[in-house]
Amino acid sequence: MLCMSCKLGNTYSLLVNDSSSNRRLVDKLCLSVHWKLIPICWVSWKPPDRGYIMMNTDGSFLQARGDAGVLGSMDRYNSNMFDQVIKECSAHHLEFQSLMRKIQEEGLDIQTTRNADHFGAVIHHLSLIHNKRCLMAYVYNRVEIIQSLRWKLGPVLPQEIQEKLNYSEEEFFKNHSAALESYMSELELDLTVDMVPPKDPYIHVRVLDDIGDVLLSDQSPNLACHSMHFLKRTDAEQFISQGLMEELTG
Amino acid sequence: MASGSEDGLGIPSKDYDSLIATTDVELLKRAWQNEKAAPEILQFQADLIRRSQEQIQLMEDTVEEYAENGTDPLTVSLYQMDLDRTQFLLRSYLRIRLQKIEKYMLHISKTELWNRLSKQEQKFAKRSTDHMEKHLKQSVLSRLPYGYQSILKQSISSEDDDMGTISSFCANHFFLMCYCLFLSFLIY
Repeated sequence: MLCMSCKLGNTYSLLVNDSSSNRRLVDKLCLSVHWKLIPICWVSWKPPDRGYIMMNTDGSFLQARGDAGVLGSMDRYNSNMFDQVIKECSAHHLEFQSLMRKIQEEGLDIQTTRNADHFGAVIHHLSLIHNKRCLMAYVYNRVEIIQSLRWKLGPVLPQEIQEKLNYSEEEFFKNHSAALESYMSELELDLTVDMVPPKDPYIHVRVLDDIGDVLLSDQSPNLACHSMHFLKRTDAEQFISQGLMEELTG
Repeated sequence: MASGSEDGLGIPSKDYDSLIATTDVELLKRAWQNEKAAPEILQFQADLIRRSQEQIQLMEDTVEEYAENGTDPLTVSLYQMDLDRTQFLLRSYLRIRLQKIEKYMLHISKTELWNRLSKQEQKFAKRSTDHMEKHLKQSVLSRLPYGYQSILKQSISSEDDDMGTISSFCANHFFLMCYCLFLSFLIY
């Protein structure tokens, strides 16, 4: 614990960094202190270049470390943290069961007894439920990001993102993608193009990566690197979203 | 809808407005705006969508014909623009509905909102829900102790399906986060 003493008037008083552990200690020792406020740091943010996907994820999980929650790309699936939480849940469950057994052995009625064992069991039960909600929220948060990836990047994920998913998430992505495709084929409409309201039917594009010959709805151009073309907007959109082309504006 | 007096051309604008308002494009635009603005999914306009798809198909054939027999390219591109705009409306309408289904699938399958979906949307929702439940079970629920493995109930002793708030509307999201944070202070 970091603290400095300073003279305030005629009395000495402790100046303490404000944190949860310090607060607990001060309460325990029944001290009266002055709390040093945590400084707020303003940061600026530059939007990413065209072609990058930026995703939000909640930076805080289970333990509040006091760090800033940051806007960033999806993290690797944190199986270590996950396994630790599951172990904690099992421990809680064992304690809960042993307390329940203790109540039963003493011959008391489980539903109505309100002794120390009962309240201990309640705390274990509530901790378990709390952990369950956190885990579900973590997995569900990532599921939402994965669903939006299907709309933005199409049926095949780039390697950098695939490394961050665990096996179950990859399976989920494939299944979700298949469900979407089956819906679109029933309607005979591709819903992943035409994402912005159309201004011109044809746009100028410059090719960024070598794509080669492509058969489009009204032409079959050779999309060599750095070549410029006048393509139909709906045809160009899929290439633009993958970062293989860029639109020339102005 | 503005009811106006006669404009300079001598066409009563009230009639013109009401004439325009009944075209399928206008109805589609209205449906699209409603769907975009409403937080919950609205009734699927099956007839309107079917008619719009037929008309778009007809327009596409007409434009192709015009392009081939050398009609004035300005006319062709104007028709093409109109076609593109209508197609965008249709796609966006269906897309917004799909994204709402993706977001609230558990909630929709449990309430009367299910009846607002089209047949294909119901199929999609059912498949998506199955995949989601399978994924959640595999990652989390099967590893938790017995009695805490339900998707919808917090534990077998819960009376309500309160885990469903994870997939309900946004307000519940915020409530859930506050709930977790508060408990973490209690326990530590």
